[in-house]
Amino acid sequence: MTLGAFVRKNRPRWQRLETMLGFIETRGPRRTDRPFLRELSSLYRATAGDLAFAQTHYRGTTLLLFLHQLIARAHNQIYRPHRFSARVAGRFFFNEIPQSVRDHLPAVAWSAIIFLMGIALGLSAVQFDERAASIILPSNILNSIYSGQMWTGGIFSVVPAPVASTFLFTSNISVALLAFAGGLSFGLITAWILFQNGFMLGVVFKLCADYGLLGALLEFIAAHGLLEISSIIIAGGGGFVVANALLNPGSHSRGDALAQQGRSAVRMAVACVPALVTAGCIEAFISPSHFPVWFKVALGLTLGVSFWLYLLFTGKASQKAPRSLPKG
Amino acid sequence: MSASTSTWNARRTELELPEEIDLQVELANVGSRTLAILVDLALGGLVLFIVYALTMLVAHDVADDWLTRLSSNALKTLLILLIFGFQWCYFNIFEWMWNGQTPGKRLLHLRVIKVDGSPVSGIDVLLRNLSRPIDTLGPMGLIGLLMIFVSRKAQRLGDLMARTLVIHETQIDWSIFDQIEGPEAASSGSATLAAPAIRLAPAQWELLHRYLNRRDQFEGEARRYLALLLHETLKPAVQGTDLALSPLAPEDWLVELARRT
Repeated sequence: MTLGAFVRKNRPRWQRLETMLGFIETRGPRRTDRPFLRELSSLYRATAGDLAFAQTHYRGTTLLLFLHQLIARAHNQIYRPHRFSARVAGRFFFNEIPQSVRDHLPAVAWSAIIFLMGIALGLSAVQFDERAASIILPSNILNSIYSGQMWTGGIFSVVPAPVASTFLFTSNISVALLAFAGGLSFGLITAWILFQNGFMLGVVFKLCADYGLLGALLEFIAAHGLLEISSIIIAGGGGFVVANALLNPGSHSRGDALAQQGRSAVRMAVACVPALVTAGCIEAFISPSHFPVWFKVALGLTLGVSFWLYLLFTGKASQKAPRSLPKG
Repeated sequence: MSASTSTWNARRTELELPEEIDLQVELANVGSRTLAILVDLALGGLVLFIVYALTMLVAHDVADDWLTRLSSNALKTLLILLIFGFQWCYFNIFEWMWNGQTPGKRLLHLRVIKVDGSPVSGIDVLLRNLSRPIDTLGPMGLIGLLMIFVSRKAQRLGDLMARTLVIHETQIDWSIFDQIEGPEAASSGSATLAAPAIRLAPAQWELLHRYLNRRDQFEGEARRYLALLLHETLKPAVQGTDLALSPLAPEDWLVELARRT
């Protein structure tokens, strides 16, 4: 059969399969339309036959590529994995994310250690020479501290809280996601981000302590600090999981280790998105406000502790038996 | 596939499917992937620019009533969210909702699929797009570009991590199949033709007709060059017939060849 004759004979079948696929791809299969599904599967088999024929007789044609694509689409609909649903999302947040963090506690610990090292170095740098603060803090914050005032009062009285909170959580999430992606640079960028943020915190602490602002600073960060720092550390841990897969793939190839560990790592990065949105809103709405100190401390502790409880203890041991194939 | 006469210089790869069909896909090349990114950047940049301009307009409004303040703050918040959304969410959301396509990819007929041919899931999309900052490190996204050049299946780091491929979906010119050709044509009317019919391999036949259908879209030098290229490619197929020694110009030669097959 010539190519043209083959196409003219079978094209209606392919067109029918294409329309059915377009239909089912946008809307998903339903239990009710059995005849539809039966026709789909018979068209799939017939087209697979056409593909086999074309593979023998029409090598190197675009038609062959088209049939490959059509069969791939049909295959994906017939053997499709579960669709996205509330249950899948729930399992993602309450099983998969905490499980990933628990599987990679050493990486989280390394992330925390580097962050703490940053704090320590920041503290000792200012102790050694106060001018060290100017390498990391902008001058308006420095001047405000030198004159014995918290810089937060100035910022939050000018920028309205909704705008400030949006800015805070978007930039914090960016930092966290960059810390995850930085794992691909063998962890160098991740380590740098963690260190830099720790260093900044250390510098601010020591400087505020020197100018009698320690109480004000602690009051300001009490409500959101724990949650924010925990999130960055978890995301940094995700970055180190990726770096570890690259540097120490074990018995896998580097690519396989990356693909395998990347899944856990990205879950750890996603874990901090809702936490950082919460922290950003608190930082803008509650931290600069005149709520009593005990309230801020209690809120901060509650959020921070429940974040860690969620990561360490929820969604355990729900391993189901592997789904068995339906019989017949 | 080595005997292919087609002139697309695309790389192809075989996919392992669970049921013994070895699917073949055409990998997207660096050029079209870059172009798709540029389309996406232009689209996002346009939206950002419009909101930015609006924000500036309202911020500089002389009136200081509650409505101006409210809309100014709303616009500022929107702008921050859009900048963040374009950086971290645009690719994720589109590739997830549109089954591996963004507006730019759709325009260039590209699609992200899993290495085994299945559609991408949410976590694959997250993996390949959250690692974008590292792939676009260096001037003009040097690291990602190098990876696409070097890796066997044109995968950048994010693709390797998510086990995804970017493929080019072949668009077929169906009109070439509508004409009756070969023995059928010979038996139905053009039997008066003195010259003997020539048999081309299906891939050659398809190539010839794809060219003839599209040649009016080319002009001048490009058109002559393409005709010459095809002339060289198809010449071995007419070995031993009078067409092999024909003095016709390449393009006329191709038309004549199409008439004879």
